Amino acid sequence: MNPALWISKTGVQAQDAKLQAIANNLANVNTVGFKRDRVVFEDMFYQVEKQPGAQQDDATTSPTGVQLGNGTRLVGTQKIFTTGSLQTTGQSMDVAIVGNGFLQVQLANGDAAYTRAGQLQVNQDGRLVTAQGQPLVPEITVPATATALTIAENGMVSATVAGATQPTELGQLTLVNFINPAGLLALGDNLYQETTASGAPTEGNPGEDGLGKLKQGALEGSNVQVVEEMVDMIAAQRTYEMNTKVLSAADNMMQYLAQAVR
Amino acid sequence: MDALIYTIMSGAERGLRAQQVHANNLANLETGGFRADLELATSQAVPGYGYDTRHMSQLSANAMSGREGAVRETGNDLDVAIDGNGMLAVQWQDGEAYTRAGHLVVDADGTLTVNGRAVMGDGGPISLPAYTRVSIAQDGTISVQQPGQLELQEVDRLKLVRADAPNLTKNEAGLTVARDGNTLAADDTVTVRAGYLEGSNVSAVEEMVATMSLNRDFEIQMRLYKSADSMADAGNRLIRE
Repeated sequence: MNPALWISKTGVQAQDAKLQAIANNLANVNTVGFKRDRVVFEDMFYQVEKQPGAQQDDATTSPTGVQLGNGTRLVGTQKIFTTGSLQTTGQSMDVAIVGNGFLQVQLANGDAAYTRAGQLQVNQDGRLVTAQGQPLVPEITVPATATALTIAENGMVSATVAGATQPTELGQLTLVNFINPAGLLALGDNLYQETTASGAPTEGNPGEDGLGKLKQGALEGSNVQVVEEMVDMIAAQRTYEMNTKVLSAADNMMQYLAQAVR
Repeated sequence: MDALIYTIMSGAERGLRAQQVHANNLANLETGGFRADLELATSQAVPGYGYDTRHMSQLSANAMSGREGAVRETGNDLDVAIDGNGMLAVQWQDGEAYTRAGHLVVDADGTLTVNGRAVMGDGGPISLPAYTRVSIAQDGTISVQQPGQLELQEVDRLKLVRADAPNLTKNEAGLTVARDGNTLAADDTVTVRAGYLEGSNVSAVEEMVATMSLNRDFEIQMRLYKSADSMADAGNRLIRE
């Protein structure tokens, strides 16, 4: 069959995938700590049908050759770790990471996961957990009688317990960073998991070793730029359309051929 | 049978295959740093006595467009757009090949890659130490701020080369290589812009027009098929009657 059909198919498929990523980005425009995905394409391998410089006869060589491409390919999606806009919420349990780093949480199965969404809460045992209920690592327990919880820039969590005049230190929050955060596996629920591509996590106190500081009473918004996504969407839609036009042109050609031989 | 039908065949064949080139260009309309393939039909005389008027059409398609693609801002420190006709060098088999795709990614070992291929620096693939901030200067110098340090430190420099489109061709992986197969030397005059990415240089309008015109061209070839057929048929009838 006409190879142009298959090539256009790769184009249509690629734009389909891109639209899916755009839709997901736009759906998460208000998700705290969300990092947008970028779809990366690559041209597929080429069929080299005739090498330039091939011998035509004893004396002459062909000045040009024939190389036919095979379409486009989705290489991967890349999480873009630019900082989202900071929103001041005034809630004492909200923390934003200003700079690099992730908070560590423990999943139900005991695995470690990482997040930048800092809407912290206290569960029934008094442990600090994320909005989804996963406990933070290192473990910090807030006593039931605590008032005025403070989370310092360096991660020190303290609270004033009823009856005491001095605040009590409850624990130290640590952050981790990766050499290639874009290689982290997005699990959903604002969580990321370590992969071989991301490298091993390096742990440290906030504000040290290049890790960001914690800001209490603020949240990091999504880093999705609505206008950019819209422009991307228009481009994806039109590219899709143009690829289907080639598809129908290729189909037409096959039709002319079929009619000619009838 | 009259050889007309073979001449038509070469034209129709060229139409089908040229369509493949344009389909590939359009499929890569959103591929970062993609260079459009150019397709050209040449005529080839049929050798032999009595064939003076017979010219077959032949497709040649191994040139690429040197036009610059649209550049857009991404704000990502590791995205680079290359000005003019410069290119990045990446590792390919034993040697190197070139690309204008500038979405650089650091892998788990700290190696700088683009589409999974190591990016070449002054002396081989570039490897970055653990860093908190990275910046790529206009001349391709990569500096990083290592954890616990205040100043940016120079690590390596992107190998940037320059060559004109007519001297370049694509290899089977879609990477650009020199037509003569030689390695290109680093060129100091090539500049890059960090935080920007270049899109594909495919012109959608041109490709669409080419697709439509090939479509009609093919239709005409098919009409000629029919005429050749009816001419042969008329000849056959002459004998029968």
